[in-house]
Amino acid sequence: MAEYTVKDKLSFLKAAAGSGRRLLAPSSKDGRVRLAEVTPDRVAFDYLNTHLSPKDAFFPQTEKMLAFHKDAAKPGAFVYQPLGLDKIQPTVVFGLRPCDARGLAVCDRVFQNDRFTDPYWKTKYEGAVKIGLACQAPGPNCFCTAVGGSPFGEDGLDVLAFTKGEGLGLKTLTPAGDEFLKGLSGLESGGAAGEMDGLKKAAESRLPGPLDLAKAQAAPVMEIYNQPHWKETADRCLNCGTCTFFCPTCHCFDIQDEENERGGVRMRNWDTCMSWLYTIHGSGHNPRPTKTERVRQRFMHKLKYIPLKQGGACGCVGCGRCVQHCPVNIDIRAVAVDMSK
Amino acid sequence: MTSLADLNQNIQTAARRALADGRAEVVFGYRQGTAPFTAAPHFARTPEDCGQFVWTSFARVNLAAYLPKYPGKVALIARGCEARSAVGQVVESQFPRENLYVIGVGCQGMVDPEAVLAREKRPIREVTEDLTTINLAGDGWTASLPKAEVLRRNCKTCVCRTPKDLADEMLGGDAPPLPADDFADLKALAAKPPQEKMAYFKGLVKDCLRCYACRQACPLCYCPVCFVDETRPQWLGKSNDAMDTFTFHLLRAFHCAGRCTSCGACEAACPMDIKLREFNRLLEEEVQKDWQFVPGASWDQKPPLTTYRPDDEADFIK
Ligand code: SF4
Ligand code: SF4
Ligand code: SF4
Ligand code: SF4
Repeated sequence: MAEYTVKDKLSFLKAAAGSGRRLLAPSSKDGRVRLAEVTPDRVAFDYLNTHLSPKDAFFPQTEKMLAFHKDAAKPGAFVYQPLGLDKIQPTVVFGLRPCDARGLAVCDRVFQNDRFTDPYWKTKYEGAVKIGLACQAPGPNCFCTAVGGSPFGEDGLDVLAFTKGEGLGLKTLTPAGDEFLKGLSGLESGGAAGEMDGLKKAAESRLPGPLDLAKAQAAPVMEIYNQPHWKETADRCLNCGTCTFFCPTCHCFDIQDEENERGGVRMRNWDTCMSWLYTIHGSGHNPRPTKTERVRQRFMHKLKYIPLKQGGACGCVGCGRCVQHCPVNIDIRAVAVDMSK
Repeated sequence: MTSLADLNQNIQTAARRALADGRAEVVFGYRQGTAPFTAAPHFARTPEDCGQFVWTSFARVNLAAYLPKYPGKVALIARGCEARSAVGQVVESQFPRENLYVIGVGCQGMVDPEAVLAREKRPIREVTEDLTTINLAGDGWTASLPKAEVLRRNCKTCVCRTPKDLADEMLGGDAPPLPADDFADLKALAAKPPQEKMAYFKGLVKDCLRCYACRQACPLCYCPVCFVDETRPQWLGKSNDAMDTFTFHLLRAFHCAGRCTSCGACEAACPMDIKLREFNRLLEEEVQKDWQFVPGASWDQKPPLTTYRPDDEADFIK
């Protein structure tokens, strides 16, 4: 893999935007930083992380899956309208934080694996060159290092960048990253990797040490499932969906049809396991009847089921968003400690 | 009250007393949060549990919202708005008065994290407080801000900072009263053409995610099935369609009319910082004007929109 430096961030972003790919990057709108399509001059650098996770670039809150309309020629028949996934333009995503890139990789293993391929996700995710921006000054709620990540982490990225004065240092991590940077003008070869090691150590030293998840991950599922602390945590949980909507690894959705006399659309919307509606059956039976089962599900999924299914990868990447936004301070780090008792 | 430490002591003592006297099986209050600007609702069932109670300016919910259908006797460490909302739960038959013991605390107001962040741009790693100031610390710096300058919007016009008339027992000194909301901005808005009003309200909720933290935090939203969650048939679309989102907010506001205590939990819980109370304030003003009714001020007066009298005005039915 290759390393490069650029003297000026803006000319790099201009080159990236001129590559034929759409540029998605963090920018500020109404005082909040979010990942969106943006012109190079508006890309933000002075952010801890984006307010919402970047997952909606690949898995939007509402996504059309198909559309249909009434067949004018044949009564009672409908015509399927393809959505044109093939017309989705490839992107270059700049400024992903390493925790979020790792979170997207967790989602990727859900949406694409040996059993399924989700075309909606695949088209956008694989069509993106993902350039991460390392965290040289991690935020107050960050704990990537507690769950196996790093502020200079490389999982899920094609290129890792860090700010170097007015410019950037860049390290390619995949053939796609290599390919992309090779085609850009204004890059100087070398001068990044050595410096990166020192910066990485410095940034990591400002973050918490690892959470002790070994015990919870080694114990049989039912042992953790039956622990008494779930009810106590659930007592104060509001069962709002905030934690799930902000989480970069939460990926559940609900499929809905909306139609009128002329036709309709099928779409999927973010759903949340914190809602009773998520599990209620047509019969009226609800297998997760109270807050306790719902709260347990969220944390078991993050800290037990995902590691089981994804070869040990933690389902929480330590972005800290749920910790910051939960109105009743349910802190996944504290839950992890309870699970390991 | 001389210090926050004293107030915390008094709260813990009162909580232990309520458990020991058999007035309550559980005491609702707050304990310290695990991250800056957070506090955790704390439900104490033993004298040891009571040792974690603190007074906090970062309460983001309303403890009265936990009352509906809560089994057993509850003592509530209550700010003014929480005491009013608890009264509301009793008046609306969601919780029996005889199972409720209100420990009122004179309240100088909650702090709005967004207001702090607007003034302090450096990353804040630690937040502590005493009675009238909050203390911030970052990498190699510290700073203090008077709470009065960074209050939550609703706390700036609170009419019940000292819930003496509602509480079974009071702690802390009286908090000096504040001028009530004069609704001046809303009166100005009301004079505008309908399109402008519509644009204003649509603009308020344009970033809404429909996570429903506002509804879940609200002590009034105790319906077993909210209209947005109805599925047989489904009442409202589930996508982030602007009209569906707007409908949620508009209908919720009407359901809260004449019941909202301006506790601000909806706004404090909202992760998108949406000014939800703008919908409610408008209706609050109407209810005050037409029925001289203040929600949560009396243990036996029902909210006007939940009562019926044969001599109610009916001239709008043509
Ligand atoms: S569980 Fe919380 S801290 Fe972990 S990845 Fe999700 S939002 Fe971030
Ligand atoms: S853990 Fe917090 S954010 Fe998540 S549903 Fe419960 S109250 Fe809402
Ligand atoms: S809490 Fe905020 S984002 Fe969530 S539904 Fe309410 S207004 Fe919308
Ligand atoms: S609508 Fe908002 S301010 Fe009014 S009672 Fe509910 S949470 Fe409190």
